[in-house]
Amino acid sequence: MPELVVENIHKWLGNLHILKGVSVSSEKGSVLALLGASGSGKTTLLRCIAGLVQPEMGRIRIGSSVVFDHEKRTAAAPEKRNIGLVFQSYALWPHRTVRENVGYGLKLRGVARPEMDRRIQNILDRLGLGHLADRYPDQLSGGQQQRVAICRALIYEPHVLLLDEPLSNLDAKLREEARYFIRNLIRELELCAILVTHDQAEALAVADQILLLQDGKNVQQGTPTEIYQRPGSFYAADFLGSNNVFEGTVDTAGAGVRIFGDDWSLNGVKMDASVSSSAKGRAVVRVENISVHLDEAHDRVRMDLEDCLYLGDRWEYRLTLGGLHAKATGKFALPAGTVFAEIPPESVWIYPQA
Amino acid sequence: MSVNSQTVEETARSSDRSLAHQAVPVRWASRVGDAVWYRRIVIGLLALAVLAPIALLVYQSFLDNPFFQANAKLSFSAYSYVLSDRAFYEALRTTLVVSAGITVLAVPCGAVLAFLLNRTDLKGKSIFEIIVLVPMFISAIVLAFGYTVSIGPAGFLSLLVKGQIGRVPWDIYTVSGIVLVGAASHIPYAYLYVSAAMRNLPSDLEEAARTAGASVWRVLWDVTLPLVFPALVFVTALNLLLGFEMFGLPLILGDPKGITVLTTYILKLSTLFGVPVFQMMAVVALVIVLLTLPMVFLQRHLLRNSRRYAAIGGKGSRATPLRLSTTSQVVAIAFICLWIFFAVVLPVGGIVLRTFVNAWGVGVNVFQHLTLAHIAGLLNVPSLKRGVIDTILLSTVGAGLAVCIYMAIGLAGHRNRGASNVVLDYMILLPRAIPGLIIGLAFYWLFLFIPFLQSLRQTLVSIFIAYTIVGLSYGFRLLQSLLLQISPELEESARTTGATIGQTWRDVIIPITKPGLFGAWILIMMLFIRDYATGVYLLTSGTEVIGSLMISLLATGAMDTIVALAFVSIVLTAVALGLAIKLGVKVDA
Repeated sequence: MPELVVENIHKWLGNLHILKGVSVSSEKGSVLALLGASGSGKTTLLRCIAGLVQPEMGRIRIGSSVVFDHEKRTAAAPEKRNIGLVFQSYALWPHRTVRENVGYGLKLRGVARPEMDRRIQNILDRLGLGHLADRYPDQLSGGQQQRVAICRALIYEPHVLLLDEPLSNLDAKLREEARYFIRNLIRELELCAILVTHDQAEALAVADQILLLQDGKNVQQGTPTEIYQRPGSFYAADFLGSNNVFEGTVDTAGAGVRIFGDDWSLNGVKMDASVSSSAKGRAVVRVENISVHLDEAHDRVRMDLEDCLYLGDRWEYRLTLGGLHAKATGKFALPAGTVFAEIPPESVWIYPQA
Repeated sequence: MSVNSQTVEETARSSDRSLAHQAVPVRWASRVGDAVWYRRIVIGLLALAVLAPIALLVYQSFLDNPFFQANAKLSFSAYSYVLSDRAFYEALRTTLVVSAGITVLAVPCGAVLAFLLNRTDLKGKSIFEIIVLVPMFISAIVLAFGYTVSIGPAGFLSLLVKGQIGRVPWDIYTVSGIVLVGAASHIPYAYLYVSAAMRNLPSDLEEAARTAGASVWRVLWDVTLPLVFPALVFVTALNLLLGFEMFGLPLILGDPKGITVLTTYILKLSTLFGVPVFQMMAVVALVIVLLTLPMVFLQRHLLRNSRRYAAIGGKGSRATPLRLSTTSQVVAIAFICLWIFFAVVLPVGGIVLRTFVNAWGVGVNVFQHLTLAHIAGLLNVPSLKRGVIDTILLSTVGAGLAVCIYMAIGLAGHRNRGASNVVLDYMILLPRAIPGLIIGLAFYWLFLFIPFLQSLRQTLVSIFIAYTIVGLSYGFRLLQSLLLQISPELEESARTTGATIGQTWRDVIIPITKPGLFGAWILIMMLFIRDYATGVYLLTSGTEVIGSLMISLLATGAMDTIVALAFVSIVLTAVALGLAIKLGVKVDA
């Protein structure tokens, strides 16, 4: 049985319809990432689950109890939901030591002193904070503060752990480590975790499931590989990864599907049933799916290389084919002039023009 | 995963369509666990404490006899008496002249002072910043007596000058005397708010004018003042308000020559008739409220807009002070010193000197007439001794309790939305429009004739309640600003950790605001020490406080006792101010 079920949540703020019927569910031992651009409603959804924002319609179940149901007019207060929330700002209480911050949830639950001390020490040691127990939050680094915030939200073993952009305040190196650490922790402790992020790399790396939100609506839910490799819509395809977008006319008359402009044509695959022949269409091609060569082959397209940009770990090629402009990457600097690009038809995803 | 991606999309789309023509659903329940009942009870109790005295005042004004008398009937007789009394119109005219005069003098002086201390490199700024606020902290009644003993007809300075030139070239017992003295003591109020506005101004605007060739004074006139225009309007409203409510100065300086303002006219009504004429007092009280209420609303309106204004500006660039020329430095420092001499040194020095001498005058060396008798006299009269002790009790324990009450109200309004918060807002605002004298009068009536309150009338409880209402809007704003500094996430994280709203207040909000609460306690302490008008009508055996004792002694002419009490008041103020400075409390809150 899923640990968290969210059904058809609607939220208005004044006349603004922020969540337009979002549904999602998640199980123990897995991470669900809520991914979307700013304004997509992902943080509002998280706050609805936590009970900090009350939606107007829908149903939310956490564990075995329904915490929100607009038909039965029930809405549990945040403290009654048995959740743990890690804030973007960490929101550690400045007047309490690390030990007091972490132990507060146990104190509220009436855990006896010796048991409490044991569990606090246990979780602090586990996250490598054992020696910092008597410090105040302002004496900790950003990474340490983040781990204290996670300890505080975990110690009373909540049904659901909610993380609101927990990595966004860390520097780039620390963030990569934290991703790995959070993923392992959630697996080991068999938690049901919901992670809000606008950073697709974070969502892809940490999550078992991703829910992509756009303008308060579900766009697609699936595993990271499904979302990245089989995007169900143009928005999903374009939101993730680094992409080339080609606009042209679709032709389904021949053996396969092709999209073409005045002076170019590419074979591809239909990603949406509504793609029809001789209608306008858009193709999305991930930058990494185009490989550039100097020698000709039958499945390669002759293109002009205009410039090469050095990015450190790779080179970026700026290509043109008549009116078509494309980006690709490779390991070596290439001389400007004629090159041969390999663009596999299965990576040319064709969607209808919006 | 139970939800298939395609069905999710479809349900989302179809429900979106069905809701497209539907209005926003009515919010069906307030947030659970949001302390709704606590908020309602606190706001309800507050409304009772604020509205009961006002309602009684209005009711009384429409009766022909005191409300507790059996033969009291509804009538307009009190209105027709007051509105046909020439003395009333005289008092009204004087009130308007005095308020306008004080405002016209105090606002420009306060604005220039704010400019000098905030935007220029004036020497000794850090010392001046505290000294210029001092007139605000000293009780107006103490200042009034201070002027009497120093530059009154038989004052130290007056007699000194008389000994030299044969006559006293000034008379402070006149309308212009009241205006001048009032303006000197009201400059800090103008200074304070204009300063706050100027501190938020980015200095590059002034620097641009300076580089374009404007002198410092031209910069002030062409750039700085127009930019703080809302603050100038605000302090104008504030000074008019304070002028309408003024009581101590016109009583001490105006009464000897029969100059009355509306507040002292109320006091006169009771002595004029020999019997309580509560209905007429109520009518005049309402006239004063009618004058002050628009000022309070104007201030509120300006504050709201200025907040919006500040949000747009806020680029927090560090202010670089404008350089003053040597001449400007000398002129500016002379101007400030002269004012401080007149507003602080003269009255305070007069009180201190007068407390410790028993003879003065032309040809008398006061240092041969030093005495401790006046101070000792205080300790020998039980009511005076009680007055000193009660004042200390009220301003320490009472101020502490008041802060707790303001905190309870602040929490009721904290993160509260909807109708109850609007009610709260007006409940806080209303007492601001009512002078302490009238609040004291209304509570006196309540304590006199409501059965279960009667037993409290002769205890400090009655005074404490009245003082708490007088300090309500100041105290509430102090605590509100503390509460608003707490990031909402600190509270939300407690809630999601499992704390109820009450536990969140107890474990997070109150501990975090503790240092600020301490500061608020000291500021309320100073407010309670300097108040003198609220206790005038509540004064009885058991409710003596220094301020009202001084006023009651005025009729007996016991100047030796009055100055000794004034001296104690100054000492208490100095101790509280010293405490505030030592502990780093922002006294300009």
